[in-house]
Amino acid sequence: MEKNHLVEKLSLQAESFQEGFRILEKSDTLEEIVNNFRHLLRVNLVITNLHLLYKSSKDSQWICIGSSKFDESETAFLGNHDLLISYFSGQKYNAAVVLPLSDSSYLGILLGNKLDGSPLNDFDKITLQILLQVFSSAYESFLSQKKEKKLIFDLNEKILQLNNLIDTGIEISRFENQGVLFELALARIVTLTNASAALINIYDNESAEPKQQIVFPEVIPPVEIQGSPYKIESTFEFNKKKYTFIISGKETRKGLTDFNELDQLLLDAIARQVQAAIENNFLLKASLEKERIEKELLLAASIQQRIIPDKLPVIDGYDLAGKNIPSREVGGDYYDCIDLGNGRYALIIADVAGKGISAALLVNTLNAALYSYLEFNLPVTEMADKLNKLIFNSSPPDKFITFFIAVLDSKTGELDIVNAGHNPILLLRKDGKLNKIDAGGIGLGMLDLGIPYQGENLVINPGDKLFFYTDGIPEAMNNEEVEYSDERMIDFFLKNADKSASEFIDRIVADVNFYVKGAPQSDDITSMLLKRIG
Amino acid sequence: MSGEFNVQTEIRDNTFLIRTEGYINNTAGERISKLFSENSASEIKNAIFDLEKSKVINSIGISYLLEVIELLNERNGKIIFVNLDPSIEKTFKIMGLFQFAQVSESLDAAMQQLA
Repeated sequence: MEKNHLVEKLSLQAESFQEGFRILEKSDTLEEIVNNFRHLLRVNLVITNLHLLYKSSKDSQWICIGSSKFDESETAFLGNHDLLISYFSGQKYNAAVVLPLSDSSYLGILLGNKLDGSPLNDFDKITLQILLQVFSSAYESFLSQKKEKKLIFDLNEKILQLNNLIDTGIEISRFENQGVLFELALARIVTLTNASAALINIYDNESAEPKQQIVFPEVIPPVEIQGSPYKIESTFEFNKKKYTFIISGKETRKGLTDFNELDQLLLDAIARQVQAAIENNFLLKASLEKERIEKELLLAASIQQRIIPDKLPVIDGYDLAGKNIPSREVGGDYYDCIDLGNGRYALIIADVAGKGISAALLVNTLNAALYSYLEFNLPVTEMADKLNKLIFNSSPPDKFITFFIAVLDSKTGELDIVNAGHNPILLLRKDGKLNKIDAGGIGLGMLDLGIPYQGENLVINPGDKLFFYTDGIPEAMNNEEVEYSDERMIDFFLKNADKSASEFIDRIVADVNFYVKGAPQSDDITSMLLKRIG
Repeated sequence: MSGEFNVQTEIRDNTFLIRTEGYINNTAGERISKLFSENSASEIKNAIFDLEKSKVINSIGISYLLEVIELLNERNGKIIFVNLDPSIEKTFKIMGLFQFAQVSESLDAAMQQLA
């Protein structure tokens, strides 16, 4: 064949080669690109017996693509050589090609006879060379496109992971129901890591067996996930419970594989988000409980403050003052001076065992009953009996009231007194003699045995002082947990009794505050002083 | 929560309908891809995926769906997803599926879109 003729013929086929390249590079799969190439070879070389083979590496086996009738022994034609093309004569095949590809894989081609039975001529050989170049370039382009697609997919996947992680954090923080929270966490972690399945084991204290197991998908037995050779875990502990998150079987298109470091980070991140949600939920509940208690205390304080008198009555010939300093935890101290008419007054001090709203309500009950009984002008002992029954029947066994009442006839200075389990009230005579008044009986509501209260009749003379107080004064504690004490209180009373009633009350409160030096007090401080001045 | 994966297919008006139930992962993706290859002759150009009962999908599952989308795009066909869980819809958006596929509220609306 003349050289010029050959060039002319090849020029005519150039367009066909270019079109062939475009078809090859558009292929989506290996099978498709090889089959398209077979078509290209067949059209250009007019070959009848044509087989195309592929192997992924030098040492792997040839795989025949697209031909159903192929004798594997014929791969011997491809030899174990590095030569690109071998030509044969007088054999089943005219030529064998081994084409190394850019990803270290190989394309093998066995070319049989031409349709007219003639061997491959120079033009065919050159055409074959060109077509091999076309395939090689198209294959490289096909790989690049595949790589580009994979890169875009991987990039999108990373964006998705980041987005999922942020969304999961927001969604998880919304759930109070732990069941929903765990299901959401499992669904998200399998999406983030391509895990086949996921499990949360919840253990109580040190128990070896989980108390609860949550699985995704539900049909997978937990033992299968725990026993998987491809698994990773993340654990946290909170409030005496241990939560173990396990994911198993990282999926790929080629089967299961090990999880990587990123998967572990993602699993840890989801577990931490769940931990934060559980902790926040716990703290929220604790905060709501605290808020509830604080509201109760405020209510208790308002009940108590409504009962405690704003000011005491002015009694002709007497000087009277009193004060209640509520503690941080609302207590049940109560004092009052009730004008009964005709120059008679009831002076009361009481202390409910316990704190909070129940104590405040009990003081309220006492106050209401007291006003009612005083209207009927009952003797103080009988009044104490009735109050004892009432408080016993209307309060739990651990609640009782220490109570002191003195009904004063301001004209004569006569006092009808009952002390129901309260601290002794101090009567300081003008001559400096101190009497402790504790006659009476047990605290109101402690027992209902029908034992009558014992009263006492006294006379308060000009210059005498009667000091009422609750145990908040002698039991006030400093930071060293040492009490103010009865001794210090009595000593203070003796030294300051000559002061006006209001000045004395202010001073003893100040002395207690000075003693405790800001240490928080668990009990109310209540005191009242009655002085006969004329 | 998700149980075992189930899939149902149907050809209606030259449209391939596929309903899934459960986690769309590698196994599920393979099943979908195989069912599509077996049932979608060359005259089938459109497909509707009803994912109402699938709330979770991983990227391997998505890669199989992308293959089906590419195949139908080559046939100049359309793919419509219906009854998508909001989290899956967001996933598809990020993974770029809606460049080549559409979303519709219901099967009827999707059929009307293709009519």
